[in-house]
Amino acid sequence: MNTSLRNVVLISAVPVLLGIVLAAGLTWPRTVNSEPTAKEAAKGPIQKWTKVSVDLPVSQVSFPPGNGSVIANAYCLICHSAGMVLRQPPLTQDEWTVEINKMRNAFGAPLPADQVEALAKYLRSINGQSTKGPSAVDGQAS
Amino acid sequence: MGLFGTSAWAAMAGTLELPFVNGRRDRVTNFPQKGAMLLQRTRPPLLETPFEVFDNGVFTPNDRFYVRWHLANIPTEVDPATFRLNIRGHVGRPIQLTLDELVRDFKPFEIAAVNQCSGNSRGFFSPRVPGGEWANGAMGNALWTGVRLKDVLDRAGVKAGALQVRFNGLDTGVVPQTPDFMKSLDIDHARDGEVMIAYAMNGALLPLLNGFPLRLVVPGWYATYWVKMLNDIEVLDKPDDNFWTTKAYLIPDTPFANIVPGQKDVKMVPINRMLPRSFFTNVQDGAVLRLGQTTIVRGIAFGGDTALAKVLFSADSGRHWKEARLGADHGKYSFRQWEVPLRLSSSGPHKWMIKAVNSAGSAQPDHANWNGAGFMRNVIESVSVQAA
Repeated sequence: MNTSLRNVVLISAVPVLLGIVLAAGLTWPRTVNSEPTAKEAAKGPIQKWTKVSVDLPVSQVSFPPGNGSVIANAYCLICHSAGMVLRQPPLTQDEWTVEINKMRNAFGAPLPADQVEALAKYLRSINGQSTKGPSAVDGQAS
Repeated sequence: MGLFGTSAWAAMAGTLELPFVNGRRDRVTNFPQKGAMLLQRTRPPLLETPFEVFDNGVFTPNDRFYVRWHLANIPTEVDPATFRLNIRGHVGRPIQLTLDELVRDFKPFEIAAVNQCSGNSRGFFSPRVPGGEWANGAMGNALWTGVRLKDVLDRAGVKAGALQVRFNGLDTGVVPQTPDFMKSLDIDHARDGEVMIAYAMNGALLPLLNGFPLRLVVPGWYATYWVKMLNDIEVLDKPDDNFWTTKAYLIPDTPFANIVPGQKDVKMVPINRMLPRSFFTNVQDGAVLRLGQTTIVRGIAFGGDTALAKVLFSADSGRHWKEARLGADHGKYSFRQWEVPLRLSSSGPHKWMIKAVNSAGSAQPDHANWNGAGFMRNVIESVSVQAA
């Protein structure tokens, strides 16, 4: 941390802005700074490579009950946990269809074409809206 | 600090409501090598850095650094004894490097740089767009240590006619049809002496979820290029045609990648350089401060693809601007702290704004930029505060 800022005296050229006065001669608490020092960096971080082995948490969340939840649980969860879907903004059925087809066409989700509509209706029912202005969904992957 | 709301935010155990629809996030501590993070998706992990972390300093601790994976087959075990980095393709001599060779045989290189997800702040887009629904915590700043990509490419000997360099990591999709995640840079960019292969961040080995053992670092560019668990570098003599380069991470070729919702027939190009941004870190929207008490308003800023030139603060909704005092300079790609001492002498409300301007003269816009993929948000940030 820059210690020159620790006890800064800020003489302002703008003394009063709508009831706000810039103060002079301040002292304030600084939070702990985690930044590495140049010395630590120069020492070099690599002393010894060791095997890294971890366990990743497993999601216990399944899609809420409803017409089509069986499809969602069977296909969506192959590649990602349910949270990604439940935390999307509410979408129209057409927008959900765009998203579903992106998963099928771009990412190879093995969802049969004849189940797309049922899944889109279901997703609309759990996290949807009916109408709005121009769709903001461009179908691009990221 | 309680006046500013950061401790109140931090104290909310269990869950946090990000300020947009479906913004409820659990604060979780069950990811390996990670402290408390905001859970967006368990598999593959999307973990956001709780924003109060950014008030602690300009370097984001490794155990709080955000996490973003595309594909769910992520190796949970990496053995440095058998790991190899391949450099191949349009080169004179394909090579395979052990980690020890990489550390021992090349000159170390170090740079402080912000790693920011292309879709950082997507949750604030209006109208909303689907994708990773981040608040502002899909970013972090670290001191990266490793070797220059240029030096490694030179070892293999790039042949005349090389156009691009493609990077691949150990992660793969669950179904075989899923395109493997790869990104490419033009050959001149790859050899610019700044793009590097990092084996450490903030003086320690990378957490597995941030790319152990190696990660590409592309200073000033969005994080989609910073390939994690990097094990394959392929020099190409023709343009990369892989899915993730040609079909994904595309932006409108307009200033700030900005279009209006529904706009069609826009030329799209791969996302690239970052834009300047600045944030309040010790005051939240809706904070109540004590009347007459002097306080320091502070935050962080960065210039994007070039140095930060100045940070401007407004206490009156943008009518008047004043330069904030800047903290230590850790290099042009790093976060930098800003601060302004203030005393509130009327109850308000007051709308405070913060605006970064970089050395190329690019300033954060007054109105939010928008595009259908939710990329590159960098509008001026503001908070409303009261005094009592």
